[in-house]
Amino acid sequence: MTATVPRSARTAPVHPTPAWARAEKSLLLPAFWVVLVLTALGAVRVGLFVKASFAAYPVATLTAIVLFALYAVPFWFFVAALDYLEREPPLLLATAFAWGGLVATSISIRGNAAVHNLLAKVTSPGLAADWGSALAGPTVEEIAKALGILAIVLVARAQVNSVLDGVVYGSLVGLGFQVVEDVIYAVNAVAIAGRGDQVTPVVATFLLRGFLAGLWSHTLFGALAGAGIGYLAVRTDRSWFSRIGVAVLSVLGAMVIHFVWNSPLLTLGGGAGIFVDLFWKGVPPLLLILLLVRGVRHREADYYIAQLASLGDRRIATADELRILAHGHLRASARRYAHGRAGVRGRRAVRRLQHAQARLAVELSRGAPPPSTPAPAPVGGAGVAVGVAHPPPADVAPVPAGGLSRAPILGGPTAVRWRDRVLVERARLLALGHPEATAPPARDGTIRRWLAGIALFFAAMLAVGMALLALGAS
Amino acid sequence: MRVARGTLLRNLAGSIGIVCTVAGLAVGLPLLDEALPATRPVDPGPYAVGGGVTVTPPPGSRVDVTLTRPGETRGTAVFLVGSVRYVIVVTPFTGSLDSAAERLRRKITAVRGHELTGKEFPVTTATGLSGLQGAYAAPGRGGRYLVFRGGEVAVEVTVAGADPQLRAALAAIETSTGTLTLSGAA
Repeated sequence: MTATVPRSARTAPVHPTPAWARAEKSLLLPAFWVVLVLTALGAVRVGLFVKASFAAYPVATLTAIVLFALYAVPFWFFVAALDYLEREPPLLLATAFAWGGLVATSISIRGNAAVHNLLAKVTSPGLAADWGSALAGPTVEEIAKALGILAIVLVARAQVNSVLDGVVYGSLVGLGFQVVEDVIYAVNAVAIAGRGDQVTPVVATFLLRGFLAGLWSHTLFGALAGAGIGYLAVRTDRSWFSRIGVAVLSVLGAMVIHFVWNSPLLTLGGGAGIFVDLFWKGVPPLLLILLLVRGVRHREADYYIAQLASLGDRRIATADELRILAHGHLRASARRYAHGRAGVRGRRAVRRLQHAQARLAVELSRGAPPPSTPAPAPVGGAGVAVGVAHPPPADVAPVPAGGLSRAPILGGPTAVRWRDRVLVERARLLALGHPEATAPPARDGTIRRWLAGIALFFAAMLAVGMALLALGAS
Repeated sequence: MRVARGTLLRNLAGSIGIVCTVAGLAVGLPLLDEALPATRPVDPGPYAVGGGVTVTPPPGSRVDVTLTRPGETRGTAVFLVGSVRYVIVVTPFTGSLDSAAERLRRKITAVRGHELTGKEFPVTTATGLSGLQGAYAAPGRGGRYLVFRGGEVAVEVTVAGADPQLRAALAAIETSTGTLTLSGAA
């Protein structure tokens, strides 16, 4: 009867944050103070660099900071939204970003220089010039970033609930690193150009490192390492040997991808060759890691959807809504569909309903043992009550016979609040004549849209490349 | 609000592990680096700086391998003639000799306390590379700079040291700069 065991339980179990977990408890942990002190030291070091850069190149430095800060915004939202159902606390996301941007970069500046020098001393300056970045970057930087993910696990173990959480924190550590490193590169490019406080080298660095090289950079490496460390944290059913082995392998995997990216191997270099290098070295790991992220997302979604399904209450979520809630593109499709049928108010109501359903699923998981049957709720089934039962609004679907009052009670007051929110949004949708947050069946043309997207991506890359050539980047 | 003793100990162990690894990367590696000498004697004969440029270093000079970075399209070589630093930087450049000289002057004066002294005058290497030469000064130190243009690169040379040592090394360094060669340059 393996069909009754959720996929998430078999390959990527979710450990919900216990209801008794309190964020303030982190203050009692040594790891919290270690992270605080190291982040403060990193901030001082990066601050000194920024101060010196402002003194020498005020306009270029400000431009670099603004450009790369703006660049980080969509990445941040994308990464944070990876875990739609169980959002991570913003403070922890910011901590991960700060570790990458302040601590990991500060460690890497010193460590990388030392590895470069040691390589030159032990071998030759030529070998160090060719292979220094390939050896120093992956070893020092990946370890420095992985420490940040481990620190998050130590500071807020209860918040790392799944492998996907590891991916999210790892990606944000990588993003912080990427942004600060790019600002440093941009200011260095201004200094090397030797033409004073000019923004052209900053723009060239932004296009090159932000767009052409940005998609398959530290954020990606961090995601892979984060997946392994997330596995280490949540697979408590496995042996320590297995968990540590997976974590080490994932960090090694990030190192290997970083090594290939930095190494002169398979490099055509210069002009059009750089495009071939970018795609040859960048696309395979990008696809590989996106597939990995997709897998762990779906497994986590299985778990939370099963929480809602176990209620068996179609006013909370219909079978179709459960299917849709698990997938980002279907959620977006449902909102668009509501917009088409009920205008902006319909779209907003669906968005709020989905949000409330997700929050309710998380709250249920915090107060209940994992459900054994992940099957969608039967339409009109009696179901299981959430918290203390309240009479449903008069304009929603009728209460099933023998419904809420006789059902076992799950979740705490927060679950009750989110259940009520779901019911309010359901009532709103009913009033709008769009009772179910469903999406229309997939239309033909998916492949066409994919191909158009890929073509658009390549066209954008080509445009960035042309802009770089126009700026005289070498 | 309490934390279980076992949790606290595990957390402490993990924290110590993180601090030790950070220290190893940020302090240990640099200490190991400092323990090994950065300079080594240069073999006699032409030395490839990068970007197709070669130079014959002064006899008895040493190369700082930590700052020397040869490359296909660019490169840096840092030699030590006694205590005098002799640096050659090759970068891709398509502008004029004057603009290359302007760029180098700007780099020099961007360093606090550095200022240009005297006038620039033209120089030519034994291999026919034409360039400009000038002088600069910093507190307690003197310096010379040369800049050449050829092919798709600019070659920047800076020489700096305490005045007595600089005067003593200058002849050998001028002989060396005369050997600057750009492969493929007219």
